[in-house]
Amino acid sequence: MVWVTWRQNRGLLVTVLTGFVVAVGAMVFAGLQIHHDYAALVACRPAGSQTCQDLSSRFFGTDWHLAQGIHVAVFAAPVLLAMFAGPPVLARELENATFRYAWTQGIGRMRWTVAKLVFLSCVLTVAALVISQLFSWVFAPFLKPENITVVSLGIFDAEGIALAAWTLAGFCIGAFIGMLVRRVLPAMVITLGVYAALAGATVFYLRDHYPVGTFWPMQVFEAGWLLLLSALLVASTVGLVRRYAT
Amino acid sequence: MSVLTLPAQPGQDTRPAPVPWRRMLWVTWRQHRTMLIGITSVLAAAAVFLLIAGLKVRHDYAGLVHCDFATVTYPSACATKISHFNNNDWALGNTCLIFMNFAPALIGAFTGPAVFARELENGTFRYAWTQGIGRVRWTIAKLTLLGLVLTALAWAFSQLYSWFFNPFLTTEDMNVLAATVFDTRGIDFAAWVLVAFMIGAFLGMLIRRIIPAMGATMGVYLGVMLVAWLVLREDYPVAINTTNAKLFNGPSSPNSPWILKGWTVGKTEWWRYIPVSRFWPMQFIESGWLLVLAIALGGATLWLVRRRAA
Repeated sequence: MVWVTWRQNRGLLVTVLTGFVVAVGAMVFAGLQIHHDYAALVACRPAGSQTCQDLSSRFFGTDWHLAQGIHVAVFAAPVLLAMFAGPPVLARELENATFRYAWTQGIGRMRWTVAKLVFLSCVLTVAALVISQLFSWVFAPFLKPENITVVSLGIFDAEGIALAAWTLAGFCIGAFIGMLVRRVLPAMVITLGVYAALAGATVFYLRDHYPVGTFWPMQVFEAGWLLLLSALLVASTVGLVRRYAT
Repeated sequence: MSVLTLPAQPGQDTRPAPVPWRRMLWVTWRQHRTMLIGITSVLAAAAVFLLIAGLKVRHDYAGLVHCDFATVTYPSACATKISHFNNNDWALGNTCLIFMNFAPALIGAFTGPAVFARELENGTFRYAWTQGIGRVRWTIAKLTLLGLVLTALAWAFSQLYSWFFNPFLTTEDMNVLAATVFDTRGIDFAAWVLVAFMIGAFLGMLIRRIIPAMGATMGVYLGVMLVAWLVLREDYPVAINTTNAKLFNGPSSPNSPWILKGWTVGKTEWWRYIPVSRFWPMQFIESGWLLVLAIALGGATLWLVRRRAA
């Protein structure tokens, strides 16, 4: 099953993998430069000298812009993956009518669906987890000078386990909507809308009502309900597949 | 006398009479109505949201008129109002600003690639391109009509968005030349949407599959946007050199110029800057080259269509 899933979705997986390798490379490169510049800036004496001012303008200019660019890219990754990875998984087979063939093999349509969803979710979640850990490291020097905390809007979502949880939930939303709408393009648009609405509601409303207020408990709480939501979505998708008349 | 016995007349055009352009309007609408209705509904929904949010922002902003941001003391009624405005209204405004900056990429990705790639994916191009209208006119008609509609929609939407965003220019000390603000206003947003659509249409014809073309469209658009933002915009021929340091004194405001760089010759300090009054020349320059790029992309798409064996 792993081989068939790979064979069917290799376009997606190769793209994700390439993007992942490029992102990791760029972030390691940027992170080393940022940490190097930060160490030099902190060690610089006396503070008012021309050398220190140059170091400072480098750190708060070039490096800060670099970090912001990386931040926006990391922030946008889950929603792009949700749009491009989720809906095609099942909707493409329905659009092309290849589901008639796929679902009548020995494996059975339920196991087929579960295997695909679980395999792809695992790949995406692990990739997101690695990216978010790297991001935390790249961004760490800026937290104090830029007066940002780890629970700040936008930072919280990109660190810890939240990014992985959002990527997983986004993919499951996409797959579910793909099966519900059964056409790839409309499903992509709807996925974008649903994801944006869910993220907006979480940031502007839900998070204020969490029973916990510090970084890790909040992370675990958010990842917990997103994981639950993902499980529910996978179950609903499998339910839809089961009910769909071949 | 039947048609079959009629000998070919030399010098007479034996090809079928070309289909009038007006008919193309109907076919284009019929083929792309889902997309057109979809994009109009999404923009209309966003417009209603912006209208409601904009009224709320203006209401909150009106309450700040008598507060001086520079001299506000804590705690006071003004401090509470400003803090409320920054935490609620600006959080919303900033989110909308980010969305607005990525909107052309999304609009382009969802509208452009499907125009030709869907026909190629489904094989219906064999039918479409062999009709009386001819594939060249077919392509020109589609690109022109859809491009015009999208540009008009985008222009109207960006006007509403500018109205929504104006109060934040004052409260956040931004000006209309700021990188993320400049391309959401005036005619620039519409031009970027047109280019995004043309990039999408071209890549759809080049890659011939919708979803990879969508991904590529977003990537290419972001590339062009970054080049414009980080490289080109500073070099538009509107910048002024000066030694008058008084221009840059005082607190920053929406009327502060955009300082490009400063340097020293002997003992004189020089600055190169763009005043806010150059907003419209910059808009026309940027929209101008974007329009040229859009037409070039249309031409390249046409070339690909002509080259492709039916």
